[in-house]
Amino acid sequence: MKTVFKSILAAVSIALVASTAQAAGSLEELLQEVKKNRVSEARINKQREAEFQSARADKQALVRKAQAALKAEKNRGDDLQKQFSDNEVKLAEKEVELTQATGTLGEMFGVVRQASAEAYGQISTSIVSAEFPGRGAFLKRMSEESKGLPNIKELEDLWFALQTEMTESGQVSRFTTEVVSLDGGSQQQEVVRIGTFNLVGEQGYLVYDDQNEKVQPLGRQPDSHLLSSAQEMRAATSGLIPFYADPSSGAILGLLKEKATMMERYHAGGTVGYVITVMLAIGLLIGLYKIVTLTIVSGKISSQVKNIENPSSGNPLGRILTVYRENKSADVETLELKLDEAILRELPKIDSGINVIKIFAAMAPLLGLLGTVLGMILTFQQITLFGTGDPKLMAGSISMALVTTAQGIIAALPLLLTHSIVSGRSKSIVHILDEQTAGIVAAHAESEKV
Amino acid sequence: MLYLIELWESVRDFIAAGGDVLYVVALALFLMWVLMIERYWYLSSVFPKLRDEIISNWDARSDTTSWYAHRIRDTWISQASDGLSARMLLIKTLVAMCPLIGLLGTVTGMIGVFETMATQGTSNPRLMAAGISMATIPTMAGMVAALSGVFFSSRLEAKVKMAKVKLIDSLPHH
Repeated sequence: MKTVFKSILAAVSIALVASTAQAAGSLEELLQEVKKNRVSEARINKQREAEFQSARADKQALVRKAQAALKAEKNRGDDLQKQFSDNEVKLAEKEVELTQATGTLGEMFGVVRQASAEAYGQISTSIVSAEFPGRGAFLKRMSEESKGLPNIKELEDLWFALQTEMTESGQVSRFTTEVVSLDGGSQQQEVVRIGTFNLVGEQGYLVYDDQNEKVQPLGRQPDSHLLSSAQEMRAATSGLIPFYADPSSGAILGLLKEKATMMERYHAGGTVGYVITVMLAIGLLIGLYKIVTLTIVSGKISSQVKNIENPSSGNPLGRILTVYRENKSADVETLELKLDEAILRELPKIDSGINVIKIFAAMAPLLGLLGTVLGMILTFQQITLFGTGDPKLMAGSISMALVTTAQGIIAALPLLLTHSIVSGRSKSIVHILDEQTAGIVAAHAESEKV
Repeated sequence: MLYLIELWESVRDFIAAGGDVLYVVALALFLMWVLMIERYWYLSSVFPKLRDEIISNWDARSDTTSWYAHRIRDTWISQASDGLSARMLLIKTLVAMCPLIGLLGTVTGMIGVFETMATQGTSNPRLMAAGISMATIPTMAGMVAALSGVFFSSRLEAKVKMAKVKLIDSLPHH
């Protein structure tokens, strides 16, 4: 339509140009021209109309084609819908069929899962895993997997894992593994495993850390006789070896770490404990010194008794006898006074120090009591601050209080014994000097007279 | 024989329940009784001979009234009494030590109880009971040991005193 309009416009413009150029003189020509143009114009229009007509037919054909395609697709959709619902029904049928076919096998899956969960708990913490690492992962996966039935291979693996644990629990085996030492380093060493109970390495008993899958020495080793039995076990190659095994697979040995050593207990006593120790040491040293000196003195005295003729100045009896010899000619009363004086001079030396032991023996339990009271004060301070909620907090200082009492008694016992021995010895010497010297002198004088 | 084995088993159970302090109590008790039996033996068989010897020596003397005679008499009495009262102090000390050792057992047992409390808490009374039996059994054992010693040692002391007085009375001044 646009082209038609354009062409008309062009014709008009040409006509106008012609009219202006050639003026009125050529109107006849213009008319001819217009007529001629009109004929050609009509012819073009007709041709175009024909073209349009033919194009319309084509488009209709296209529409028909598209409609046919739509219909086909709809049919296909219906078919698929039907197929889907059919399949759904079939699936439900198959599901029922599956549950029927599985039957008791379904329960087996639950059992397998439960068994593998149990086995995981047991096997991952077992020391056998130190020798055969990586057994836990498969069991963990199997116990956590919730879909699908276990296949034959998995069932077999579970069986083997359980069987391995069972067999190894009855065997003593020797293998090399990495042992993490307590200061952080690690080394390869030969380790002996006794059933599922204990691992023994160079440092003694070892524990298996199942979190990091590492073998490490026990924080505190048990007593030396237990340890030496473990080392004998480690060194032995055959035969029957007595061995201290931990039947709880490490739990009892673990408790050992929490037990305080004698040294720790001793230091729990604090200052009071040290004072008691010093007193015990001083008391025992004095006692030892007194025992030695008194034994020497009494030995000298007894040899002097046999040899009254020659008094020596090296022992108390000899010195008293010297006094007698010097006053032989004096009368009896003067002689007795002189002898008493000489005896009184000797006694303090023999008695000295014995009372110190007795005082120490009496003081040690008192000091222990002091420590107890101090510890109880500490306990009550802790109760004031933190309340009674945590018995562990209180138990610490209470045991400290008791330790000093124990130390006091432990110190008092040997001191008491030492005191009774020393004072018994000194008493017998004092008796000889005090009560018997005059008699010895008198007997000697009588024998001299005769 | 079976009876002895059972007895030994019960003793072992007792020691296991009471702890190592019982060994110390047993040692003190053993020492105390050995010393006391030795004293009884001395009093009944050794001392009479010594006493008779001293008395006959004294009776043989012509001079029993001078200063010399008095001193010699005192010496003989002192020697005899030294022999009589030897180790009596040790026996008395051991008797006094027995309850003290029992007390030591009490204290160590209580330390055990509180250690259990510190590590395990108070939830399990069975764990603490082991410590408590270690606290009470040595106390009882110490008491029993001391009681058995107190009676006989005081009897012994009285006998020693009597023997000495009798000896003095048998040495008259003529």
